[in-house]
Amino acid sequence: MNQNRCVFLMGVERAMEYRVSFFLSMLSAVFPIVIQITMWNYLYGHGDGAAVFGYEHEQILLYTLLAVIVSQLAGAGFEGEVNSDIKMGGLNKYLVRPVSYKWYQFFSFTGQKVPRFLVAAPVMTGILVVGAWQGLSLSAARILAFLGSLVLAVVLNFCIFYCIGLLGFWLTDVDKLFGTVSIVLTVASGGIFPMDIFGGWVEFVVNLLPFGYTTQFPVNVINGRFGWERICLGTGFQAGWILVFACLGEWMWRQGLKRYVGIGG
Amino acid sequence: MITVEHLQKEFSYYKKATGIQGSLKNLFHREMLTKKAVKDISFSVGRGEMIAFLGPNGAGKTTTLKMLSGILCPTAGKIDIDGFIPWERKNAFKRRISIVMGQKNQLWWDLPASDSFYLNKCIFGVEDGPYRDIVTELSELLDVRELLNVQVRRLSLGERMKMEILAALIHRPDILFLDEPTIGLDILSGQKIREFLKIYNEQWKTTVIITSHHMADIQALCQKAVIINQGRLVYDGRLADINTFLGKRKLIHVKTSSPVAQEEWVSYGQVREMDAAGAVLEVEQDKVRDTLGAILSGLHVEDFTVTEIPLEESIARFYQKEVTPL
Repeated sequence: MNQNRCVFLMGVERAMEYRVSFFLSMLSAVFPIVIQITMWNYLYGHGDGAAVFGYEHEQILLYTLLAVIVSQLAGAGFEGEVNSDIKMGGLNKYLVRPVSYKWYQFFSFTGQKVPRFLVAAPVMTGILVVGAWQGLSLSAARILAFLGSLVLAVVLNFCIFYCIGLLGFWLTDVDKLFGTVSIVLTVASGGIFPMDIFGGWVEFVVNLLPFGYTTQFPVNVINGRFGWERICLGTGFQAGWILVFACLGEWMWRQGLKRYVGIGG
Repeated sequence: MITVEHLQKEFSYYKKATGIQGSLKNLFHREMLTKKAVKDISFSVGRGEMIAFLGPNGAGKTTTLKMLSGILCPTAGKIDIDGFIPWERKNAFKRRISIVMGQKNQLWWDLPASDSFYLNKCIFGVEDGPYRDIVTELSELLDVRELLNVQVRRLSLGERMKMEILAALIHRPDILFLDEPTIGLDILSGQKIREFLKIYNEQWKTTVIITSHHMADIQALCQKAVIINQGRLVYDGRLADINTFLGKRKLIHVKTSSPVAQEEWVSYGQVREMDAAGAVLEVEQDKVRDTLGAILSGLHVEDFTVTEIPLEESIARFYQKEVTPL
């Protein structure tokens, strides 16, 4: 069997090894949904117009539900392992084997996403069916575009968090940083609320930065907020940012290895 | 097969005073220091040889093994392993070596060892048939066949170490680096691993460099030893010649039928131990015959034996900086 396929399958296996942990992590997605829906219901219930920040009530609820699922699917979580491998000498076992650490992490990461995807897919389908019933316009082309943008979002998020994990070569203890970065990036990616509610220059900057392309962009593809021109432009941005972070990750790996001390033995 | 020339490795680190004051000072200014872990080491290992790489804690053994396996890049010097430079990390080189670290888990902790073996099979591109044969053969030799499907984290230290060794041999490496493979193991587990390594080396002619603080490992497995202390090479030769290197001395164990005074023992040689039943004397090797003759004619000897100075003790002399670096 090809080594990448083997790593991928091991990723699937690892994700399902601890069943309670797996189901709890899935369940943890429910809490932000409940909190946000309550918050949006309150805001819209006490607002003076039907649309707040350019979103109808149903639109913001749909966005919230889809954003939570997309951010669950694209979410990283392996950066701690990368950092620990650097800090504790765990990289040794990869350096002495004919295997690329980057590809190992990538296939392990995507493998671990499979069970999550299998749970999320029917939930998302249900949300979209309800959305369509409420008037959401869906087409096969849009669904395909969404799936494409979701794949690119997963890859982009991997590349971003791989670089963050590699900071361990320079900063010995970055555990605290991961927590902060994770919160900031979740917000910046539109995982909590759509960043375009701010409008103006904030929206402009968010559109230039990579983070929105990991959550907000795929959601706006499927909820019909973006037209085809915007979808093409956004896909270009996703691909461009993937290239930038892939190159940055490669550079950080090469430079970092010069500093690596392979602690322990 | 393995040639090491003038190998050096330096690490940078910073000094920190104890307490909060030291930590605060450290936030703004760090005094960088350099530690020379390996200082100008040269040695060579022939194909199929099994050599002991010895030294006290912090001598630079693990650092040297990491440079030999390509994990670390040296500050200066050369390593040539069958035409490969380890730290270039070429896949062809990686397919020929393996490293086992007694204090570093290389198996996937949350999965059964068999999954790690299978991943190694895929990584090294081992065919299905040979893979099955290797796992069957080695798991039987190491007596872990029943444990292959148990999560690694649930194995005992000895069982895990056997699995680590098995995982390292899936691709039948030509060269095996073993860093304290019996550390923390009980007598039986240690013995099993020693027996296994001996059989494996004889059968497959694998070149093995082993570090260990257990002399039983070294005596059972190695003909040759390379000893380093404080990063410097202090001995490179046959294990059997260590005593000769240190001054050709032997021990005479004498049992007498009646107590002998200490002054009398001293007249025969350096007294190491003595009691009412006899003594252990240390004498130069070329004086053993004369000393024995004198003892036999001067004392009521019931029994005597002549032995080498224990290896552990000889090696300890290298560790205690009593020997000038080569």
